[in-house]
Amino acid sequence: MQTKDINENIAWAKINEDVLRSMENPRMGYWVALAACVAMIMCAVLAEIYQYQVGMGPSGLNWPHMWDLYIATFVFWIGMSHSGTLLSAILHIIQADWRKPIYRFAEAMTLFSLMTAGLFPIIHLGRVWNMYWVLPYVSDRGIWPNFRSPLVWDAFAITTYMTSSALFLFIGMIPDLAICRDNARGWRQKLYTVLSLGWQGDDRQWRHFRRIYLMMACFLIPLAVSVHSIVSADFAMSIMPGWHVTTFPPYFVAGALYSGCAAIITLFILLRYFFRFDEYMTIPIMEKTCKLTFAIAMVWTYLNLIEFAATWYGHDPVAKELLIQKFIGPHAPFFWTMLFCGSVLPFTLAFEKLRRHMPTMFVVSLFLNLGMWLERWMIVTPTLSFSHQPFAWDIMWPSMVQWAIVFGSFGWFGMLFLIFVKVFPSVSMYEVKEMVFHRRHYHSDELESKFHRRAGDRQSDADPSREGA
Amino acid sequence: MKRYYVMGLFSNFEEAFSTISEIRQHAIPGVTVDDVTLKSPIEHPEIEEILGDRGSPVPKFSLFGAIFGAIFGFLFLASAQANFLTQPQGGKAIITLPSNIVLSYEMLILFGVLSTVIGFMINARLMTKRHPLYSEKVSLDQVGVMLELDEKNVDSLKELFKKHKVLEIREEVSQ
Amino acid sequence: MSLKNILENWSHYRRAHEEGGHHEYEHMWGMAIDLNKCTGCNACSVACYAENNLPTVGKDRMRKGQGLHWLRMERYWDEPDLGGDDKEYQERGGSFLPMMCQHCNAATCEPVCPVAATYHTPDGLNAQVYNRCIGSRYCSNNCPYRLRYFNFYSYYEESWPEPLNMQLNPDLSVRDKGVMEKCTFCIQRIRTGKDAAQREGREVKDGDVVTACAQTCPTEAIVFGDLLDKDAQVTKLWKAQEVELGRAKQDKSDGELRGYRVLEGLNTDPCVMYMDRVREA
Repeated sequence: MQTKDINENIAWAKINEDVLRSMENPRMGYWVALAACVAMIMCAVLAEIYQYQVGMGPSGLNWPHMWDLYIATFVFWIGMSHSGTLLSAILHIIQADWRKPIYRFAEAMTLFSLMTAGLFPIIHLGRVWNMYWVLPYVSDRGIWPNFRSPLVWDAFAITTYMTSSALFLFIGMIPDLAICRDNARGWRQKLYTVLSLGWQGDDRQWRHFRRIYLMMACFLIPLAVSVHSIVSADFAMSIMPGWHVTTFPPYFVAGALYSGCAAIITLFILLRYFFRFDEYMTIPIMEKTCKLTFAIAMVWTYLNLIEFAATWYGHDPVAKELLIQKFIGPHAPFFWTMLFCGSVLPFTLAFEKLRRHMPTMFVVSLFLNLGMWLERWMIVTPTLSFSHQPFAWDIMWPSMVQWAIVFGSFGWFGMLFLIFVKVFPSVSMYEVKEMVFHRRHYHSDELESKFHRRAGDRQSDADPSREGA
Repeated sequence: MKRYYVMGLFSNFEEAFSTISEIRQHAIPGVTVDDVTLKSPIEHPEIEEILGDRGSPVPKFSLFGAIFGAIFGFLFLASAQANFLTQPQGGKAIITLPSNIVLSYEMLILFGVLSTVIGFMINARLMTKRHPLYSEKVSLDQVGVMLELDEKNVDSLKELFKKHKVLEIREEVSQ
Repeated sequence: MSLKNILENWSHYRRAHEEGGHHEYEHMWGMAIDLNKCTGCNACSVACYAENNLPTVGKDRMRKGQGLHWLRMERYWDEPDLGGDDKEYQERGGSFLPMMCQHCNAATCEPVCPVAATYHTPDGLNAQVYNRCIGSRYCSNNCPYRLRYFNFYSYYEESWPEPLNMQLNPDLSVRDKGVMEKCTFCIQRIRTGKDAAQREGREVKDGDVVTACAQTCPTEAIVFGDLLDKDAQVTKLWKAQEVELGRAKQDKSDGELRGYRVLEGLNTDPCVMYMDRVREA
């Protein structure tokens, strides 16, 4: 059984070769997947054109359901974007080096899910053509956006997060882009020459590089927490039952990390399978990700229970009625599915046998994210259905227009990701080299075997070579 | 005056580091460790121990950017609110501190990040032409030690390189 | 410059909301609705449709909840104490609540609008600026009374076929798709009343401005007026019921007092007072 995060004897040249290979010659399946994604986007584009022409009516939104899937899916994508920061920034600061082979695609995921999420607040506007009014530009009429509105906070937070995580992804990729530049020909070489900014790996560059990477990580952690807290403020700052909840900011952050981790597992397995990254995205790293996901799932479950208990014992009749409606009302099937997917299913991650079985984990991770998507829906919609004014109680089912746009958003994300994996290295070459180098030089083999030995393991007697980088 | 650039490529860090150690101990008169540029495919934690602490002002850029962002952010928001006459009240003050704190915090991070990146670009001398002695092997798996020196020291440096099992020596003369 | 402006007027910008914001309130338009008198006839709602160019959206869209009814008659049939369970005389248990925008002084809809399309006027009104609205619909979500309505379609295209378009009120606009709207306390009538008073060189007096619903109500259940005017009928009613602006909880120990404001506990400080229906036990 494989117990080491990575085989420390991989030659550096092989790392370059393996990763660069993954970027070349897309196979037929790649083009089919890309075409499928574009087709999904077209569904959304058609729906959006229709909605743009006619108004918000066809989306099935009504009074009192002024928000529905659009906002729920917006929160879902924003949540998914938190995984990249978790892996690249938090694990970087606590020096967990097993993040190194898998953080690049997680960061790309962050950027792309933000790019997806950013579309939804725009799509859901009644007058899309005026969306720029939310930005604080100087107008000679002296009109500003309303800085008290959590939606404006969203605009600020998402802009900041998108800029910062794009820069973080880019900065972290510069040494790899230099590798690509040195190995590419044609248009790729031109692209990488521009993008690698003249990186030549000298000590001055590495020295500043280490600082900026640390500084960016320090900025990104509080930023990620604040972004999802601000998204939760869209709800927590209101006075509606089920939204006006004090625990929402941590609850949202936990949910965000949760769905992000689940998405990492999904993409981990896909990349490992399709790009044959078995040597880098190893089972032990998978296991660590699963354990992390399990821990976050339990935090999420705890915060859920806290919310129920606080509502129940708070004796606010409206909030209590809403809670009852969630459990037994028209939304109950979704609510229970969410609880099952979010709190029961993650227990599969606690078993080593299941954790090491890729197909199981693939299915589980998809269901975890289904649960997280339902969570967002169950936050947004029941409150609108059952709020203070009983006369305004209503039930609605989103129309095909909304479903098409939600469906298309997955295509948009998929398309961006597919383009990314073929244009940019989805495994960080220089950091895997660092990881291999460190393990070779600084890990004591006795300690290694002591910590990682399990029943049934054979003692590894191969002495890792210390020759030649 | 002519300047000579000589770069030796080594197969691993140990050899490169022992070369630099000898330069540090003045194996070649007139050549100091400050003339050394180390080129490596990864960031080695001991580079600074070998080359000496050369410092990095990047965190200062972060600090400056963050402070600027927070102050500018707050003043920008407050002055916008103060000049905005028909804004919603909702029973709230005109300059609202909670919202401005949230937004100033975002501005702090945004400007902090931008300033850090700019500081990095400037200090790491990015977006300049690569050195003519750049070798693609550095991005693969070899470690380069490059020195800038006078003509008289070139040969003794090459000797030193060869002593430490150098794989390849490249040189370049500039005016 | 603005920095100087901030420093000099800091306390104003931090405290002014206690007096009314950038401005002194010139008026504080308010209502008193006596539910004892309300028969639930819906005349007010019809008058509102006629006065404010509200489109009729048709049965299907109304059923889907995409209609606009600035003044809606809420009907509740669920008071078993009063005979709501009585199959034969179900209306004994019925109660009516005409709901229009409550023009809250601490309106929850105002601070959440991202583009400041809704704000408080010097008249104490909660105004909606259609031109500025981008349709994020956050205000409606944050209105505990659910009194804001959205133009889900360009309703005007079908609502007034020739020659019905001739009956549109020229004093206010017809709204297009993507815009939030709600009861304005007939702001066009307030404007007309103020203009008339100004032409005659006098203050606005009670009775100069009457909203369409108050004008139409056959039982005169709705009284509209300026709460800052000591002699106005509405002020007297508020006083008689000991309901005050700025107080979240009204004293209900005196059985004679029937005044309340809807969902007062949320501290939205609405300008519409309802007088509870008195029934025989």
